[in-house]
Amino acid sequence: MKTSHSSWTYIFIAHMKRDFLTNSRSLIDLISIIGFMLLIILLFPLGIGPDKEKLGIVSNAIIWIGLIIAILPSLEKILQKDYESGWLDQIATTDVPLEIVLLSKSISYWLIVLIPTILSSPLFAILLSMELKYLPWLILSMSIGGLGISLIGLNGSALILGAKRGNILLPILIIPLMIPILIFGVGINEAVKIGESPFGNLFLLMALTLIYLVISPFISALLVRIAIGR
Amino acid sequence: MFDWLANPNRFKRITNKLEPFLIVISVILITLGLYFGLFDSPKDYQQGDAVRIMYVHVPSAWLASLLFLSLAISCVFYLAWKHPLADIISSSIAPIGAMFSLLTLITGSLWGKPMWGTWWVWDARLTSMLVLLFFYLGYILLSNAFERKIDGSKSASVLAIIGVINLPIIKFSVDWWHTLHQPSSILRFDGPSIDNQMLLPLILMITGFSIFSLYIITINVKTKLIEKKCEALLLKSNLREFV
Repeated sequence: MKTSHSSWTYIFIAHMKRDFLTNSRSLIDLISIIGFMLLIILLFPLGIGPDKEKLGIVSNAIIWIGLIIAILPSLEKILQKDYESGWLDQIATTDVPLEIVLLSKSISYWLIVLIPTILSSPLFAILLSMELKYLPWLILSMSIGGLGISLIGLNGSALILGAKRGNILLPILIIPLMIPILIFGVGINEAVKIGESPFGNLFLLMALTLIYLVISPFISALLVRIAIGR
Repeated sequence: MFDWLANPNRFKRITNKLEPFLIVISVILITLGLYFGLFDSPKDYQQGDAVRIMYVHVPSAWLASLLFLSLAISCVFYLAWKHPLADIISSSIAPIGAMFSLLTLITGSLWGKPMWGTWWVWDARLTSMLVLLFFYLGYILLSNAFERKIDGSKSASVLAIIGVINLPIIKFSVDWWHTLHQPSSILRFDGPSIDNQMLLPLILMITGFSIFSLYIITINVKTKLIEKKCEALLLKSNLREFV
């Protein structure tokens, strides 16, 4: 059997291992993201008032929006460190398929940063007086949406590689692309709350994530090659 | 095909001859359109005279979308064929398109308050027009966010091409969703459902706005070409630090 060291699966797994190794030492990053999300979610009851009815109407949206805002600062770091250290240059100039490498970057970001943050959502649900029976759907919808967010974040990070004021610009570039994910994701949770079937929105969210899964590595690879050419 | 136009001097000569025509024709068309729109066209049976803001609102909306499409096409020319003028044209189109989309939102808001009772509503058409404005802003900000302008152009071009996905959403949003905004009246498969007396000033205004945009774009492109020439001259001389 020919062990193909250039097979896509091998490359993908190798880069996932690398990302896990380089990122798993930064537990403090994860804690700071969860802390930031906690603070954003904290602001809403303080602003709206402790009335459980009013909070219950918006609690789904608050958790989703808290997630999107809290990970914005860390999204640009998906590619920034590797670009600055020159690693991205080297990988792009070999014949390793850059798209696979970037795909593994966004999936490892999803697994390392987003899934733990999403798994801490019971805490946020309690703060917003959300009924705990809606939690499984919340975690499921945020996990699928989180993959889409991670892929869009990869695109955004590639757009601003090397920009001097890029980190301020990133929200403006990325948030319009995240709007459909937000709409369908909250739609799933709202449907569950009313008692209707969430599968319509769920399938739309999954379809959207699949589309991003396919096109996002190619767009990011193009942008990385542009960035390296500078 | 467009390479013969890429020579800056040739471009300047041709546009110098064209410019007076462009501005005169656009002023004539806009004046005629405003005359027919404000005076010679019928009042709406429900809205009265307030419907006449349509003659500014609809052309701005069309121009905002059309200019974004031409921005994306120009960016494709820049990325794929590296046409030297394409990047300059893109950065000239962007501010004008952004202004038109802002004008659309403002005139729509002014129209909506007496008609719908609200300045703003989060329906599909308005939200997607707002997203279009964000794409324009994103393009302008991203292309200026880098040390050298040429670095920003490529990233921003990719952003503009990604943003084209928004244009069919804008066009078909009133058909796909129940929106407060009224459905399509002009570009429909069955042909326009709007009366000819109202269609004429609309067409005049749209054409007038388009030619006016073309005029402003050519002025901007010529200015940027002059700037580039100045930069090149400064680089050649001993005054490098002023570049």
